[in-house]
Amino acid sequence: MTGNGDTSAPLVEMRDIRVSFGGVHAVDGVTIDLQPGEILGLVGGNGAGKSTLIKTLSGAQHADSGEILINGEPVAIDEPRAAKALGIETIYQTLALAENIDATGNMFLGRELTTKLGNLDDASMEAAARKVMGRLNPKFANFKSPVERLSGGQRQSVAIARAVHFNARILIMDEPTAALGPAETDQVRQLIRQLKQEGLGIILISHDIHDVFDLADRISVMLQGKLVGTVDKDEVTTDEVLAMIIIGKMPDEVTKSELADLHG
Amino acid sequence: MKRNKYLIALVAILAIVVAACGGDDGGSDTTEGGADTTAAPAGDLTIGFSWNNFNEERWSKFDEPAFVEAIEAGGATYIKADAGSSEAQQLTDVENLIAQGADVLVILAQNTEAILPAVESALSQGIPVIAYDRLIEHPEALYLTFDNIGVGRIMAEVLFEEVSSGNFAIIKGNGADANSDFLREGMEEVIGDAVTAGDIVIVCEEYTDDWLAEVAQTTMEQCLTQNNNDIQAALVENDGMAGGVVAALAGQGLDGEIPVTGQDGDAAALNRVALGTQLVSVWKDARILGEIAGEAALALGQGSALADIPDVIEFESPGGNTMITILLDPTPITLDNLNLVVDGGVISQEDLCQGVPAGTVEICG
Amino acid sequence: MAITEEATTSESVEGLATDEAPAGPVSMGGLFRRFDLDTRLFGMLAAIAIIWVGFNFWSGGTFLTSRNLWNLTVQTSVVAIMATGMVLVIVTRNIDLSVGSMLGFIGMFMALLQAEWLPPLVGFGQWYTWIIVLLAGLLLGAVLGLIQGAIVAYVMVPSFIVTLGGLLIWRGLSWVMASGRTISPMDATFQLLGGGARGSVGGRTSWIIGIVASIAIVLLLLSRRRSRLKFGFRVRPLGADIALMILGPALVLGGVWFLNQYYMPEALARAYAEANGLEWPAEGLLIPFGIANPVLIAIGTAIVMTFIAHRRRFGRYVYSIGGNPEAAKLSGIKTKRVVMLTFMVMGILVGLAAAVQVARLNSATAGLGTLQELYVIAAAVIGGTSLTGGIGTIFGAVLGALFMQSLQSGMVLVGIETALQDVVVGVVLVMAVAADVVYRRRRSA
Repeated sequence: MTGNGDTSAPLVEMRDIRVSFGGVHAVDGVTIDLQPGEILGLVGGNGAGKSTLIKTLSGAQHADSGEILINGEPVAIDEPRAAKALGIETIYQTLALAENIDATGNMFLGRELTTKLGNLDDASMEAAARKVMGRLNPKFANFKSPVERLSGGQRQSVAIARAVHFNARILIMDEPTAALGPAETDQVRQLIRQLKQEGLGIILISHDIHDVFDLADRISVMLQGKLVGTVDKDEVTTDEVLAMIIIGKMPDEVTKSELADLHG
Repeated sequence: MKRNKYLIALVAILAIVVAACGGDDGGSDTTEGGADTTAAPAGDLTIGFSWNNFNEERWSKFDEPAFVEAIEAGGATYIKADAGSSEAQQLTDVENLIAQGADVLVILAQNTEAILPAVESALSQGIPVIAYDRLIEHPEALYLTFDNIGVGRIMAEVLFEEVSSGNFAIIKGNGADANSDFLREGMEEVIGDAVTAGDIVIVCEEYTDDWLAEVAQTTMEQCLTQNNNDIQAALVENDGMAGGVVAALAGQGLDGEIPVTGQDGDAAALNRVALGTQLVSVWKDARILGEIAGEAALALGQGSALADIPDVIEFESPGGNTMITILLDPTPITLDNLNLVVDGGVISQEDLCQGVPAGTVEICG
Repeated sequence: MAITEEATTSESVEGLATDEAPAGPVSMGGLFRRFDLDTRLFGMLAAIAIIWVGFNFWSGGTFLTSRNLWNLTVQTSVVAIMATGMVLVIVTRNIDLSVGSMLGFIGMFMALLQAEWLPPLVGFGQWYTWIIVLLAGLLLGAVLGLIQGAIVAYVMVPSFIVTLGGLLIWRGLSWVMASGRTISPMDATFQLLGGGARGSVGGRTSWIIGIVASIAIVLLLLSRRRSRLKFGFRVRPLGADIALMILGPALVLGGVWFLNQYYMPEALARAYAEANGLEWPAEGLLIPFGIANPVLIAIGTAIVMTFIAHRRRFGRYVYSIGGNPEAAKLSGIKTKRVVMLTFMVMGILVGLAAAVQVARLNSATAGLGTLQELYVIAAAVIGGTSLTGGIGTIFGAVLGALFMQSLQSGMVLVGIETALQDVVVGVVLVMAVAADVVYRRRRSA
């Protein structure tokens, strides 16, 4: 996780990634990068290719070509385990929780702690879970119920706790507030800022432009598999980003009338 | 234009030739009795056999070889199908056999009533049908069987000689199989009076799913429990189930004390007879049944009427049909006549005597 | 929807978060949650108790005798052994329709091995015959299960189809192997696996087992409590734990005592006395059978399977695959391998059940095991395993098997005719699962 690479190198660099599904270019030569302690918003309409791009980083998808570098070192990410070993944790849109298993079980799914005899060490796992939750969501107390009984926000906490506990350096969050009410959305936003403070690099996929503006430092926009461009949040307006998403034109190319047209 | 005319002429000639050939094959011989049967010399006969399920050992070991020997001695060809205990499958099997050119059909019916459509179809095409071992409720089918009522009667007779009063358990076969009821009818002939008089009390009487031995075992266990082991005899309708009943008795140390009946002459049962844990296994020499069926099939295929087949009698079926029937007599095998099965090749002396203490059974030495 | 969920969850969260009893009315459901007990399992036990009492009344007091219940435990064993494995298969959203035919095939194999194939090599009645035969049967089961599992997991043919094929194939092969013959008798030592006259452990050993089990229950409860306290987690109120520590052993020891009331009938008692050099007094000897071997085998199997399901990673993976196969895969779990192994475990258990069944029947018939898959699946489902996957307990399946067998044996005891029995079993099955479905829907609503 702290590699022998160049310390001034970005945390994550994805260079010229291409993914095709039978003739359809889902990701068509996209290059993005992420600095430590930075939140990168990844936005675009439906079918833009954001989820597919991010899956190549999380190990759930093979890139047909292109390079991924972590801390300046090229890496091969063949499966989810490999991504996790590199400190990349993903919180999927569907959360990827097993509904019938409790919060502790989900946190440690696939990475269970065992006793000397190889049995599951439930007590230690629960203790660790409580510790992490204590930092993220102190009100959370229901560690023993199957997660299907928890609210959307609580399930989100479990997914985030899973990522944080395993010392993620790079966190990918795909639509983290999509299924949440306003109070819980606030909670999650707080959490994301807190994690940024701790030095994690976060790639945030969201269709909610206000969420992105609230949290992100930079914004990368994709359209039909290609990268439209990457901008600093402080240097653009929401309309200009919208234009990137919908028309595919950078702020310095778009005309005033096109911007006006966006609002129909 | 010229080409077309030649083509038409060619087709016409072909048509005439085909019609002539087709005409030659059918109806050249006259038949005696039997509507529309196309009689052929025995050498041209194809005889189809629809088995219900080869899972009982006797069919392949005894019935089939004897049957095939008989019909091949008469120069006929043998084709067969196995319905795997499915009535629906058997209907298809019969159709297939007819399609393959069967001149006579022998059917071992899975279900006495479900097979009727197939039988009707065969008969309407002039194909005689033999109901083999199991009843088919159709007056125009030749019914060939061991006297199943007789089997029940003989079982009960042998048992009645040993035990003529007390609590009896009756373990019957599959409820959907007419034979279960025939056997019970035969038993009734023997014990009915004693039951009415109160000398015999039937404390349990149950059918057994699929004639399964393990189900019979559980049933017998429950019967023993309910009656606190106070049972004097067990009438069991076949050897497979008798094995289960004996196992249940053994669990109480009562094997050999309570007489048990069975039928089929299967190797394990004969061994039990020698050991003394089973009283009797009613043996139907299936080879005789197969042989007679073969001869009857040959006769029917050559145009014989049902009534002209040797040894037939009239039999009133439960469904009210008057069946033309050949009833064969079964042989009860007890400790006294074990030599019959050894001589008859049913079982080797070694298998028969396995585990039998020296000096207890003559044939085992 | 988010708001309602939050409200109910936070209520229960508060209730569960503290160590002190919440003030206010305590509902039945709340009571169960407080004691950390499963309402479903208690429901099952209640249902079994009801039919036991009902049949006892109907049969004029014969059902609730030591003898009948002893028989019942033996009769349940075969299905119970297989049901423990079926739970894992169904939890992963698969099914195994071939277990009955596989039982017939493996049973026939073991029968032929000891009655015809081994004797020419080693003779009859060797002390090791049963060991070879049993191991061979288990191995065969593992191989057959592995084959089916591999096709399901790696070729990805639906398990319904693969095991339907197995149902036909193993049954056919069973017949081919023995030409439809019934193979009998079995090796004398092998027969002990099935219970019967000599296949029980006797009164004294039963008590020892009962005592050991009771001590184990107490130690387990204690160690659980201790480890949770060490981490500072919520524990059951002390009174509740103590109640369980008394109730558990009481049930076990009470059960042993009751079973030990089943004495050998005179013929067997005499034989036993002779064999053990005991004098036979005028009034006879009361020698209890003790727990039957098949029952010990079934209980042992249930304990091992429960351990695997709850304390091993394999079990955790099985349940997570059932709950969300995608999530399991993304967590790095080798899902295909796990699914294949559930079928292999099922195969081994079928081999074990086949040994018990053949030993009990003292023969192998061509039709052995017919229809068993239905009863095994019914047992698992009645015991709470959901066909949609992810949910099910081993203990529940064993109770399910006991429930079904109680129903069937009870009906035979009171003399209900076979056709009607089938109707009752079918109706009860649907009702039991319907009750489960409704209960679950209410809980999550």
